Amino acid sequence: MKNNFWPALGFLSPALLVILVTIVFPFGYAFFLSFHKWNLKYRDTPFVGFKNYSRILGSETFWEIVGTTAVFCVLSVFLIMTIGYLIALLLNEEFWGRGMLRALLLVPWAIPEVVNGILWKWLLDPSFGILNRILMKIGLIEEYHSWLNSMPSAMFSVIVAYVWTHVPLAALIILAGLQSISKEVKEAALVDGAGIFDRLILITTPLLRPVLVVVLMFETIFALKVFDIIYVLTGGGPGRATTVLGWQIYSRTFTNLAFGRGSALAMLLGLLTLIVAVLYFKYLNKEED
Amino acid sequence: MGITYQIFGMRPDKLFNRLLVYGGSVVVLFYILGPFLWLVSSSFQPEQNLLDRDGSLFPTEWDFTAYRELLTGFLYDASSGIPYQARIFLRSMLNSLIVAGGVAVLSILIGSVAAYPLARMKFKGRNFLMFFILGTRLIPAIALAVPFYLMVKAVGMNDRLETLIVINLSFILPYVIWLLQAYYRSIPMELEEAARIDGCSRLGTLFRIILPLSLPGMVSTGILAFLLSWGDFFFALILTQSQSSFTSTVVASMFATDVDVKYVSIICAGVLSVIPPVSFALIFQRYIMSGLLSGAAKG
Amino acid sequence: MKKIIFALLGGITLTVFLVGTIHAKGLKMTGWPYQPDTVTENLGVFTAQSGIGAEFLPIPSDSYHDKMVSDFATGTGFDLVYVRDNFLAEWASAGWLHPIQDMPGFDQYRKDLSQASIDQLSVDGKVYGLPYYAGMMSFAYNADHLKSAGISAPPKTWDELLAQAKKIKAAGISNKPIALQLKKGNYIVISLEVIAAGFGGTMFDSKHNPVFQKKGSAFWKALAWTRKGLKAGLIDEASLSSGDHDVVNMLSAGSHTFTIVADYNLKAMNDPEKSKNAGKFKIGLIPGDGNTRSGTTSYVRLYSITADAKDKAAAWKLLQFLGGRDANNEYFVAKKWALNFGLGFAQLPLYEDPDVRSSLGKWTNPDVMAEQSKYSVNRGYRFLPYFSDWQTETWAELQEMLMGDDDLGNDLEKLAVAWEDLKN
Repeated sequence: MKNNFWPALGFLSPALLVILVTIVFPFGYAFFLSFHKWNLKYRDTPFVGFKNYSRILGSETFWEIVGTTAVFCVLSVFLIMTIGYLIALLLNEEFWGRGMLRALLLVPWAIPEVVNGILWKWLLDPSFGILNRILMKIGLIEEYHSWLNSMPSAMFSVIVAYVWTHVPLAALIILAGLQSISKEVKEAALVDGAGIFDRLILITTPLLRPVLVVVLMFETIFALKVFDIIYVLTGGGPGRATTVLGWQIYSRTFTNLAFGRGSALAMLLGLLTLIVAVLYFKYLNKEED
Repeated sequence: MGITYQIFGMRPDKLFNRLLVYGGSVVVLFYILGPFLWLVSSSFQPEQNLLDRDGSLFPTEWDFTAYRELLTGFLYDASSGIPYQARIFLRSMLNSLIVAGGVAVLSILIGSVAAYPLARMKFKGRNFLMFFILGTRLIPAIALAVPFYLMVKAVGMNDRLETLIVINLSFILPYVIWLLQAYYRSIPMELEEAARIDGCSRLGTLFRIILPLSLPGMVSTGILAFLLSWGDFFFALILTQSQSSFTSTVVASMFATDVDVKYVSIICAGVLSVIPPVSFALIFQRYIMSGLLSGAAKG
Repeated sequence: MKKIIFALLGGITLTVFLVGTIHAKGLKMTGWPYQPDTVTENLGVFTAQSGIGAEFLPIPSDSYHDKMVSDFATGTGFDLVYVRDNFLAEWASAGWLHPIQDMPGFDQYRKDLSQASIDQLSVDGKVYGLPYYAGMMSFAYNADHLKSAGISAPPKTWDELLAQAKKIKAAGISNKPIALQLKKGNYIVISLEVIAAGFGGTMFDSKHNPVFQKKGSAFWKALAWTRKGLKAGLIDEASLSSGDHDVVNMLSAGSHTFTIVADYNLKAMNDPEKSKNAGKFKIGLIPGDGNTRSGTTSYVRLYSITADAKDKAAAWKLLQFLGGRDANNEYFVAKKWALNFGLGFAQLPLYEDPDVRSSLGKWTNPDVMAEQSKYSVNRGYRFLPYFSDWQTETWAELQEMLMGDDDLGNDLEKLAVAWEDLKN
């Protein structure tokens, strides 16, 4: 067992070098700041120990924001995984035009942030947005709805926009996984003559588990840190209804210049994400070793 | 197989399958491209039509000015009246391509080697190392912007594309490594064991067995790395300050100023930004499709 | 495959070398990318006049504050920067800007700028810059909508505004006629400050003690009025996610009748390239409450010298060229912005300039603007460093007050307590 350590490290060394060189200082710096009252507006930056952390953990608002983040994360990751898996299964079939469709799949992700903001803001606009017009035409709504300014439609709109950009990533990764197991799936299906759905649940999904766990983990990490789409669409509003941790970290650090508090929040979010990742790994990635 | 009758020359279950596939494709196409079509349609309209409440979803008047300015702007100077942002846009696309391409290639080179021991070798501290690698990515970039900037300035590397490549690489590598080790795991162990018995070294098995077999995974991971850095706005914003290193996400956002917003130009920039990643995917996708069968035959 | 990778790698290395950065020597200035070519052209004139090189390197508007904060915190390479008045206190108290009141020749600008303008450029008695453009929040309306609803003049009071909105709504001209900037961020606080100014007051007294929480205060009335308008469907609830560009779009689309925006926004609304309803928008006085005729807040965007600038004397020369007088003793740059781009100004001599007056008349009404400027209220509390800390906490609370039915007193009292806490 032990004799493998050094060869393994040899394989890993270029990657570790890149990561360590770039991350150790910034991470250490942020960690250091989180134990100080460090606001760029004031010269005085005293060491305060765990005070930043205790103030955050003791505030009601923080737990409310954690709740909002959890709701956002669970819903959007669920949707991304489901839609992503379905799209990947479809693109794994052979049909005319699938090459083009596979490439076009990347479109939502490739649109720059600022354009995405305009796109969704205008689609959802209550007075000249297209969504209202279409829904009205097919008779789903009776009057123009102001999607971003009441709950739960504000949260739902943000999730829809977010899911749309993230589905390509999930679908792409799952699709590649499907490609590498397609032979086993076909063989197994030939042997027991299983139907489409049995095949999916009994054969494909278990074989794909390592890849699915990784996608699930990535999407959870991304969703827990979400910031951009909230920034453009709702600014965390109405009230605090869509204020998530990523937004709160941004507003602490860049609006208040309270880098101490902001870093402490970031550390807590990092820790939370790590716990979730480890739990996924432990319970979903059961392995032979 | 007792069924003998056919519809349109196909067995009913096969026909059902086809209907499902084509029906599904239409739905997916609509879902993925619906919002994007609005962008494309808007990009050809004069700006005042965008705000028209009762306007048509499709352009009634065609206006190509914004595209022409973005695509040919680099040929002109300030006296042409073409806005500065449009004149540097194509250059910024090239910068984005260099960064995203560089990150994709480097992350696959480094990541494919790093993922091997995590997938195939048993050693003490393996899980710790895996989470250490991922853990570096769990703190939001916003909280690290200032220390990153400090570090980059200290080594005199501000406003350079190399810096963007390295920073993006370090943020994307953890994902690449995690993904590749997952793909490696789905390759049957027997193939590798056979090679080892034949006297192949670990490095040899990696290059002769694992890498060819996980080509689809590697290509998709490369596309992923490309996309992640293609979409990066935050690091590009913080670490660039002149047109020699502005990326297209930064330049696209420059069409909005404190006083006015050039919506059509932003939208056109968005539509153009989609072209490189999609064409890359088109070029490389035969490798995603090649799959295990062809790989195993060669191996 | 291998070949492709090698070709890619080779291409990348080669281009990285070719793209190697070349920077001009001389002063470096940054700001948001409004008309960067004109800025560069101006800098060329400066170089011709002074022999000092200067370069403009813009940063995206939306991220300007965040990028500059990171830049300052790590030692900036810029000599001159644009500053929005709402960051001035923050940047000055962080020690990032260089005060200019002791620079040679500064005193002439005390003459050319009103005391109110000087106050807006100052923190703790030190002056930190000269104006790039300036103006105030103003009331804009769609004159066609008013006409079709049979309304002869824009509203004089807040109550009349709601009454007119009701009439317009009833006539089916606009479903929710009033659009305000109530998005979380600076927007919501500034909008409520303007409305409060129309009710005859500010949030804090001249000694920076909170008065907004007192029953019957102007701010309290402003909140109550806005809440009433939202409940009645006369103020569009989309306001809660709208900023300046959003309300400009809402009016330009012809779907809304009234708004409160910075004066220059009227130009975009009346620009036929941007709006099908161009030409219909007029500027009016911000409503009052019967006792107070009107009220508004003013804003200024300024140029400042950074504390890290190496050659302060050269930077001061450039600062004067841009925000003050050039080598020919003229307000060359400010006049150009006013004439060619319709930006407002604070330099008093420009008000007398006939070219500037006639140019403004094309898209706004200089007389209404001049009258509106008389009602501008002083907001010295905005220049306290902890104001920004306090206001971030208020955004969500204010939105919740606007959407809720609770008594405003308790919630406002909490905000007042938070202010006192920060003060100590």
